[in-house]
Amino acid sequence: MHMNTGRRLLGLSMAVLSAATMLTTATTASYAQSVDLSKWSPEYVKSIAGTKQFDAAKDCGAVVPNDYTGSVSYWYTGPFEADPQIAHDQDKAFWEAFKAAYPNITTEVQSITYNELLDKFRTSLLGNSAPAVIRLQILGGVEFAAKGYLQPLKPEDVGYTAADFWPGALKSVTYEGVSYGLPTNNETMAMIWNAKVFKDAGLDPESPPATWDDVVAYSKQINEKLGIPGYGLVAKQNAGNTPFRFMPQLWAYGGGALDEASAEPGYKDVWINNAGSKQALQAAYQMYAVDKSVPTSALTNTQGENQAPFIAGKLGMMIAHPAEYAKMNDLASKATGTDKVVADEVVANMRYGLIPTGPDGKRAVVFGGSNIHVVKPEFVQGGKVDEQAVKALICFWDSPEWSTKLAWVGSNPGNINGFLTDAMKERLDTIKFLDVTTSMLPNGIPFPVIPQAPEIMNIIVPDMLQNALTGNMTVDQAAEDAATKVKAIVDGGGGI
Amino acid sequence: MSTVPGQAIFRDVPEPRRIGLSQKVWNSRFDYLYVAPALIVMLIVIGYPIYYTIELSFFNTPASLALSAKQFNGLDNYVTILTSPVFWKVTWQTVLWTVLSTFFAFMIGLGAALALHREFAGRGVLRALLLIPWVVSAVAASYVWKWLYHSDFGAISAMLTQVGWIDKPINFIDNTNTSLYALIVVNVWKEFSFAMIMLMAGLQTVPDTLLRAAQVDGASPWQRFWHVTFPHLQGVSMVTLLLLAVQNFNSFIIPWIMTGGGPAGSSDIWITHIYQLAFGRQRWGVASAYAVILFIVMMVLGYFYVRALTKGDDARAAG
Repeated sequence: MHMNTGRRLLGLSMAVLSAATMLTTATTASYAQSVDLSKWSPEYVKSIAGTKQFDAAKDCGAVVPNDYTGSVSYWYTGPFEADPQIAHDQDKAFWEAFKAAYPNITTEVQSITYNELLDKFRTSLLGNSAPAVIRLQILGGVEFAAKGYLQPLKPEDVGYTAADFWPGALKSVTYEGVSYGLPTNNETMAMIWNAKVFKDAGLDPESPPATWDDVVAYSKQINEKLGIPGYGLVAKQNAGNTPFRFMPQLWAYGGGALDEASAEPGYKDVWINNAGSKQALQAAYQMYAVDKSVPTSALTNTQGENQAPFIAGKLGMMIAHPAEYAKMNDLASKATGTDKVVADEVVANMRYGLIPTGPDGKRAVVFGGSNIHVVKPEFVQGGKVDEQAVKALICFWDSPEWSTKLAWVGSNPGNINGFLTDAMKERLDTIKFLDVTTSMLPNGIPFPVIPQAPEIMNIIVPDMLQNALTGNMTVDQAAEDAATKVKAIVDGGGGI
Repeated sequence: MSTVPGQAIFRDVPEPRRIGLSQKVWNSRFDYLYVAPALIVMLIVIGYPIYYTIELSFFNTPASLALSAKQFNGLDNYVTILTSPVFWKVTWQTVLWTVLSTFFAFMIGLGAALALHREFAGRGVLRALLLIPWVVSAVAASYVWKWLYHSDFGAISAMLTQVGWIDKPINFIDNTNTSLYALIVVNVWKEFSFAMIMLMAGLQTVPDTLLRAAQVDGASPWQRFWHVTFPHLQGVSMVTLLLLAVQNFNSFIIPWIMTGGGPAGSSDIWITHIYQLAFGRQRWGVASAYAVILFIVMMVLGYFYVRALTKGDDARAAG
């Protein structure tokens, strides 16, 4: 309840701030007063879609004149072969539109795969050959901000205001009080379930588990009635999938790694051994070690390996990405014979719901997405950054229209005014369950914005889970061990 | 001055002139010139990374600092590693992994080599089949084995269930007690062909006449193997064992892909641990110190390997 009130107040203050900025900033392209975050729901998202037209060329022209002559280099993870055609089409259309809006700005663009981008960027920084602008996964930038590679960048620098972005997303680009980037797209996950499995297990096929305690109970019931895993737990070491699925549970029970789930996180207090964190760990232990109602292979599986049993009707429910429905459709389309019959039935019975709450009604999900950053000139190829060209590119990329179109397949616009566009309406009409995953956004919590976050989330949290689930340690011991490790690395030390 | 008969003859023969090192180098200057490009490339791609790793091992590299701002901390990284119980646990697992993998790969390879050394119908086909594990990509093999072992839908458990030997899937790799041994089985399967090839080559050197003579003298098959064949295989066996040991100390692909060192670190070995420290946790300094320790162990093994390889060279040269 406190959280919801806080969010409403935050939303209201953002709207006020937006209006004030509109009055005082002549060159801004902000439109945030049109979106009311306090009303956010699947119905609200649908009601505002397609209600406003935007002109990126004109709006960004007010920030950087359209006849500006310059150049900009840019790295990002663009569409690759496995991506749907629409992602390729939108990407192509963006570069054509940018060229039309800024015919005298030369772009040097590299699309680099998700797994290679961070390492390639790190290497290029050591050799002073980085691009001027880079788009990184939501938590990728903090490492580089902390190490002094990035330039401060705030919404006003490119014609927007803070109210044009999700507060959680802005948190993810703020390191030690300074903003080092802008959100380009944001997404949150949701709970998916197989309605037929629920029905066969004697559960309401149209209702997802309301709380995490229900998840434990539902998982047990499915396993006992049908002999298949109920919930698709993921607890592999060194895999981003694990914290993306376990942290929502941890936060819902009132836990956290640090205090990232609080209203004003300082990232100094260790919460991973508090009562809420231990309750969440106990719930996972109950499902894995006591009820044995989740996949035994959870300790070595990533989320990708849950897809096969789900499409085969051998898994009841799991936390999934907005694009999971499209993935399941794709898997079903490739199946043959009796597998095809089963897969089609699963797709027909697939449902999306909100991620369950904790015992006190707290609902939480990892705030995902990407951010765009500007590199300091001394680390850029040629030693120069053309600030005007950089601003033009970022303004254009983050415009309501393009931040929606470029996030077409599995994400949502970083600029929340994108929710007003025709493109958003078209997405809602064509992408099933998008309204549900989108409505989880206000519950999004970013991982701690500190350079140690990847180690905490990808190593320490999964280690804690594995230590508890395998019986290597008790739940208490595993949580205390994790707390010792988190404290050590936040303090600048840490063993091996 | 009297002359001792006979000595004058030798006095007139000039003593061989001792050639200094610089003279030797000068005399072979063109040889050095020819190998210089290769040496320079090796210095760049091997020498410099080794130097940089050793240098980095004396620095603290916190996540909040750029690598160029690394902080000198002397031997702290080595102390951190050597006093950590995790290191000794991983070391024990590495020893188990290396010794068991090497031993069983060698023994199965030896058995296969001895079996294939005899003439029989289909020998060529069998030899080709047994080579498959060696030629299959380690990445592909790891994924296949992961699915064979899968704790929920694994093919091995499915087959055993169908024949009624078990009633629920066996937990091979999601169990802290069995994961390392399950990986060793995969590693042995992957490596035994290599031992087989090496030992088959070694068997070619065993004189057939000796074996026949032993047979005529009434030696049993075991006595012929132990007293005739095996002594001739000692050299190649030593080289094979050392090569397998070096390879196993450096193993990465199979444990990383199949378990990622888990569950709960139960299948972590040195290389996977180093990789995780460096690339998962960005602890370049500690990971470098760890790598230096591994490097020293590898150099010791390398010394014995070279010794085994060159054993008898001096005697042959003198002869």
